[in-house]
Amino acid sequence: MTRSGLRKWYPESLRTFGTISVPELLVKYIKEERIKPEKSRFQGLATYHDPCNFGRKSEMEFGRGFYDEPRWIMDRCLENWVELYPNKKYQTCCGGGGGTLTTPYDRERTFYGRKKMEQIRAAGAQMFVTLCHACHGQVNDIKKTYGMEDLDVKYLWELVLECLQI
Amino acid sequence: MNKSSKIIDPGRSDRLRFAAWPHSPDDCLACGLCSSLCPASGIDGFDPRKVLRMVELGRIEELVEARWLWLCTMCSKCVVYCPMQINISDIVRSIRTLWDREKIPGDLHTGLVRALKTGNVNALSSQEFVSRMQAIADEIAAEPGFEGFTVPIDKEGANLLLTVHNKLVLRFPQDMKHLWKVLYLANEDWTITSENPEGSNWGYFNGDDPAAKILVGRIVDHMKNLKIKNLLWPE
Repeated sequence: MTRSGLRKWYPESLRTFGTISVPELLVKYIKEERIKPEKSRFQGLATYHDPCNFGRKSEMEFGRGFYDEPRWIMDRCLENWVELYPNKKYQTCCGGGGGTLTTPYDRERTFYGRKKMEQIRAAGAQMFVTLCHACHGQVNDIKKTYGMEDLDVKYLWELVLECLQI
Repeated sequence: MNKSSKIIDPGRSDRLRFAAWPHSPDDCLACGLCSSLCPASGIDGFDPRKVLRMVELGRIEELVEARWLWLCTMCSKCVVYCPMQINISDIVRSIRTLWDREKIPGDLHTGLVRALKTGNVNALSSQEFVSRMQAIADEIAAEPGFEGFTVPIDKEGANLLLTVHNKLVLRFPQDMKHLWKVLYLANEDWTITSENPEGSNWGYFNGDDPAAKILVGRIVDHMKNLKIKNLLWPE
């Protein structure tokens, strides 16, 4: 929304400062060797979920989705991760976006998430990595209902941090 | 209410109201791809194709009362698959714009009002927000490898503005630490702000453009007033 809003209402401001997304920032830090994640930290199978706003909606509105950056980072943090299917532009929404987490419709929101949970189960992942606060909150909130209490839900930058030697 | 008379009365279709919308609902082929793939289809009567037909038939009074309209996440998967490229998400959001603000379910409107009034959805005073942020920073500074960690607040000339997600402030403060630590280890020159610290924009969800514009404008003001070089996209 901030990105759309800046372009729509404050286009002149975009000439006065730069902008960057979280996955681009993490790629930059790793490429400049300001941080050096190591792959030895996690052995279990992980998966990555494309949030609507970073992927499909960004591609539709601004011509490019952030698909490659998170995957490049996953490759640098994990030996063992798989894609969800379908993914990228055709990904299935988790059900936590668009403000649904703030509505009183918890049962409906939980039911909405069944397709996402089935995908994660089918992938056999023990760790679920994403970029979006809504996706993170939704999957963490409903995983118990789907018998997946042990699913480790992580922000991508949290994964990166845990793969650093401090 | 006699619903069938509404359905067959083409005079009810309010074309002027929808003239500014990106797509005419007339474009819909009624193929049902959107409804087939939407994870919310069938929940409490929600169905994207039905929404389009209701718009086409001018049944706006029902759409601005239908609680199922808020089950849609505007994820736009239906838009990707629509053979006529109808922007169904935009249409859902435009209907939400027509809702009486007081009838919007849950906290989407009330939270937005708090954000407009106090600078944040949680309605914390600037002083309380800052002290909470500093408490988190103190915890980080007590961990090995992060000695001397502080959270930069209102730092003029910083390289990067970080907005704060409202959910993390009160409910998940521990989750704030991961990114802060990465910024610290990467030696980033970053800052948050003591006033209007949030980036998420509930005006987007509930279709309130004037409010959304104010919230985006606050970020523009931070960038200008503090002469910050780069903005980290909030969402």
